[in-house]
Formats: sequence, C-alpha cells, structure tokens
Amino acid sequence: MSTKLKVSVYKLSSCAGCQLEFLNLEPVLLDLVGAIEFSYFPMARRRYEPGPYDIGFVEGAVTCGEEIERLKKARQECRILVALGSCACYGGLPSIKNWTPERVIVSRVYENSSLIHSIKAYGIDEYVQVDAYLKGCPVNKDELVEFIKGTLLGIRPRLRPHSVCVECKLNEYECISVIKREPCMGPVTTAGCGALCPSRGKACDGCRGPANDANAESLARTFSEYGLHRSDIVRRFRKFAGLTQEFSRGADAV
Amino acid sequence: MAVTRTSSVPDMVVLSGELWQELLKLVTAQYKVIGPVRRGSEHVFAPVKDPRDIDMAYVTTILPPKKVFHQPFQVLFSFDTEEGTLAEEESGEEKVLWGIHPCDMHAIAILDKVYGIEYPDPYYLRNRENTIIVAKNCTEVGENCFCLSMGTGPALRSGYDLLLTDLGGRYLVEVGTEKGRKLLSGLELVPAPRVVLVEKEKRLSQARQKFKKRMITQGIQELLEENFRHPIWEELMRECLACGSCTMVCPTCFCYNVVDKIDLDLKTGKRQREWDSCMLLEYAQVALGQNFRRDRDARIKQRIYHKLLYYEPQFGTLGCVGCGRCIGACVKRIDITDVVSRLAESVESDR
Repeated sequence: MSTKLKVSVYKLSSCAGCQLEFLNLEPVLLDLVGAIEFSYFPMARRRYEPGPYDIGFVEGAVTCGEEIERLKKARQECRILVALGSCACYGGLPSIKNWTPERVIVSRVYENSSLIHSIKAYGIDEYVQVDAYLKGCPVNKDELVEFIKGTLLGIRPRLRPHSVCVECKLNEYECISVIKREPCMGPVTTAGCGALCPSRGKACDGCRGPANDANAESLARTFSEYGLHRSDIVRRFRKFAGLTQEFSRGADAV
Repeated sequence: MAVTRTSSVPDMVVLSGELWQELLKLVTAQYKVIGPVRRGSEHVFAPVKDPRDIDMAYVTTILPPKKVFHQPFQVLFSFDTEEGTLAEEESGEEKVLWGIHPCDMHAIAILDKVYGIEYPDPYYLRNRENTIIVAKNCTEVGENCFCLSMGTGPALRSGYDLLLTDLGGRYLVEVGTEKGRKLLSGLELVPAPRVVLVEKEKRLSQARQKFKKRMITQGIQELLEENFRHPIWEELMRECLACGSCTMVCPTCFCYNVVDKIDLDLKTGKRQREWDSCMLLEYAQVALGQNFRRDRDARIKQRIYHKLLYYEPQFGTLGCVGCGRCIGACVKRIDITDVVSRLAESVESDR
C-alpha cells in the first residue's frame, strides 16, 4: 500500500468516549498511524486536512437539525461511513429521552428553552446510509482495530453477530442470569465485548444492542419471572437501543 | 518388605487420609494437573497447583473437560506471508485430567471417534495423547443429571487410566492402564481386598436411586422422525433465546470456526479456530447471505435431532451423555428430557 488511508472522526451528541478509544489503543497506536492517517480528528490533532476521506467514523446520536447537516456533509466526503458506538448505531443513551415529551426533557436541564432546538435522538442511519456499525458503549478496541485491518485488506471484518452468552461460556464466567437470577441482557445482546460486564460479576446492560436473532420478548418474560417491575423491564430495553425493532419488542412484551 | 510393595503397584488400592493427600501432592508436583475447582458458586476445570484447590465433591462444571483436548480457542499456526507458513509449536507436556465423571468420559469417547477416525485431527489427538485421565465414579447425583437413562453413568467401565470411587472418607483407586499405574508408583501400597468391590457396588446402586431426571430412549429415533412438524417446536421457537449456551457447554458438540488474526502490518498473523454453534443464526449462512436455518425452530430441531437421531449413523451412539449441562445453562430452562417426554406423551394420547 503506497498511500495511507485517510481517516476522519466526527462527533455528534455524545460523551466522546468512543473516539477516546482510538487514543486508548496505545499498544498498537504507532502501528496504526503507520497504516492510516488521521486527517480530521479534532480531539487528537489541531491540523485538519480537507476531504475526501477513505473512512469516516461518526460518534454520537443525532439530536438537532444542525447535526443532520454536518452528518450529511460527512457522508458526502467519506467513501466508507462508520457508526462509531451505540449512540451512532441506535441513538444510544441520548435516546432514553425519546419516550418523554421534548418540552419536559428540555425544561429539566435548561432554564431558557428558547435557545434549545432539540429533536428526538436517532442513530445516524435515520438520515444517511451507513456502511458499518461498531457497537458498544464505548466501542470495543479490538473490534475497532479488526475493522480497520479488514478495510485495509479489502475483506469483511469479523465482528461477532451472536449473543454475549457465547463469549461468557467460552471464558467460563459464572452465569449472572441462571445462578444469580439477575436480569442480564446477555442472551439478546451482540457479543464482541468479551462479556466484559459478566466477567466482573455484573449483569450485561445491553449496551451493544440486539444480537442477530434476539428474542427480546422471551427474555422480558423471564425478567418478569425474576420479579422485575414492568417499568424496570422497559428501562432495560430502552437504555441503549430502545429504537430498534428487537428491543422495542422486549419493552412492549409485558 | 516395603521395597517389594513399591516396586509393583497393585491393580486396586484403597487410599484414605494421609495416603490420599500424599497421592494428590505427588501428582500435582510431578504433572500439570487440571481438575475441578470452584468459580463463584459453579465449578470449572482449571490448572491446579495446590491440591487443596481440588473440589472432589463438584457436581458439574461450566465447560466440560473436552476443552482440554478441543480447546475453545486453539492457534493452529502462525504465518508470515513473506517468509512462508510456520507451524505453531505445541508443548509436549504430559497432563493429568483429574476427577472426570463417567458422562464426560463417554463424551470424550465420542469425540475420539469424531476427531480420531475419518479425518484425524492432529491438534485434538496431540492434546489427547499427552493426557492421563483420572476418572471418578459418581456417588452423588445432580438435579440435571440423567446419565443413568443414557447408559453413561453413574459408574464407568472403561476408558480411564485411573478410576476413583468415593467410599466415604476413603477412595477406591482402580488401575486402568500402565499410564495410570505410573501415577501411583511413588506410594507404598497394599492391594485392596476383593470385598471392597461389594462396598463400591453398594455406593453406586445407592447413587442410581438418586436420579430425578430421566430421558426416554426407547423408540426415540421413531419418535423424533415422526414428530418433525409437532407444535412443540413452534412453542420452543417462541421461548428459545438462540443464545447458544446449550451448545457451548455440551461435552459432545464439536463444531468450530476458523478465523485469521492478522497483525497490523498485514503480513503476519495467526490462524486460530474457536468453538462454533448450530444454534447461532450465522452458522448456516453461506455466500450472498443465504441461510439454510434462518428460523429459530429449525436450529432448535437441528440441535436436538443431531444429538438424538443423527449421531447414531455417524458414530454408532447417541450424541447425548446425560450430563445435564444444557439444562443447567438455559436461561429459559428448556430441558431436552422434557421435550422428548412431551413428544412421547402426545403420541401416547393420540393412540
């Protein structure tokens, strides 16, 4: 490869935790910048180079009209557009506001609501075509590197599409659901995190959104059997990916 | 006198107290021992340094001991596209697998056929040949155990290097092979009297009384063949989470996927394999996205029919050994014995 891939990183409504993961790639960061060039990455570089770019990573949910404009421009200047993290994939944490009237949400945070032009929080594919989704809150560093390598080689990167349970079992973590009877989202959530939360004895939060054959209704019934109140079940399914068809079925199941 | 005793290890000995502790110390000092240890409220097979970590009273483990031979992640080789392919070095270290239950021993016997006959698998066979197996008969029975129905327990007849039976505070140790005898060679031992076999049989028949779970095996092939369109499959489709746990914990599942882990220089990397599962949607997906088992009920049926129907012509045995792990691991408490019983009941009521 003679010229490096030009990469841009954009930020919409988000905590910046996903783009921070690029900088957390320390052990391979030097190898990485040998293969790609961060042409537009305001968090890490003061100097910007103009597009077009080979890969554009978009972090964050779309929550106002101005962001739609910036997103559409990003789409235009990038050959491959990637949703970086669950906010960009599904709306993520900002999307928890979507089930409360905008006026109520705004007045809870801001004194002068006339300055706020907030709309419902969506993932970026509500407005533009997306070529790849890197899920998670934050994204998984290994998956991020795997994706870049795949793109450099021109092959499909291997991103685990199945449930978190598979990784839990492969690593022999104690089952949070069966043993502790806690409402673990693992059985319906996309793997790729290495079952991070269960490895620490904590129930999966569902941050990576629905797995490829998520049966959320059935899991919601089990949560109900574990004694979870209906509103708590709804909250669990709406925390990161409530807008997805799969998780909205879970929220509506009981 | 002591000299003649140690030079030949008898076929059958009873060890208690100090001698038992001495055996554990001796074996863990000389070999890499993999035995049942606690993890939270569950158990796993893990390397044991201190013999006190071994919990002989374990009922079951999260993953079966097959993981020692057919590893969840196994590097096949590392490669360098400029230098050519390099084979991965394997340690030839002899291991001891300690305290394997009869169900898991039967499962290993099935995997020996899968990986040892038609297409011998060098990775499996290397791990298998380097391992001494110390099995343990079951005198206690877990809530999900049904090996008695499958004819795979609670007593083991063959396949072991050493066989242990808990006689209450002391262990009967039977020698199966010379590899097994080697483990006992550092101890001063006297042959156990034949009468101890009566005690062993008493303990095992007591264990047989303790089973609560039962699998109907008589006529099971016909039962499954005739009920491929039974309404129970639709019901299971609504319940099953398709999470794959049942197949991940199964001691006879043998499917794997092969993936390349390429380094960032894009020139070097490792080819590795890892366990795969027919319960996962992507398992039967082929090029251009076509999927032969897109529906969840098709995958549920594949799992159950493979274990109880398709193994027989392939390997001459049922593919289920009654360890009960799939039942214990299922968030929805889907129970393979219950599925078969309900099929049998519905056929019965139709008559």
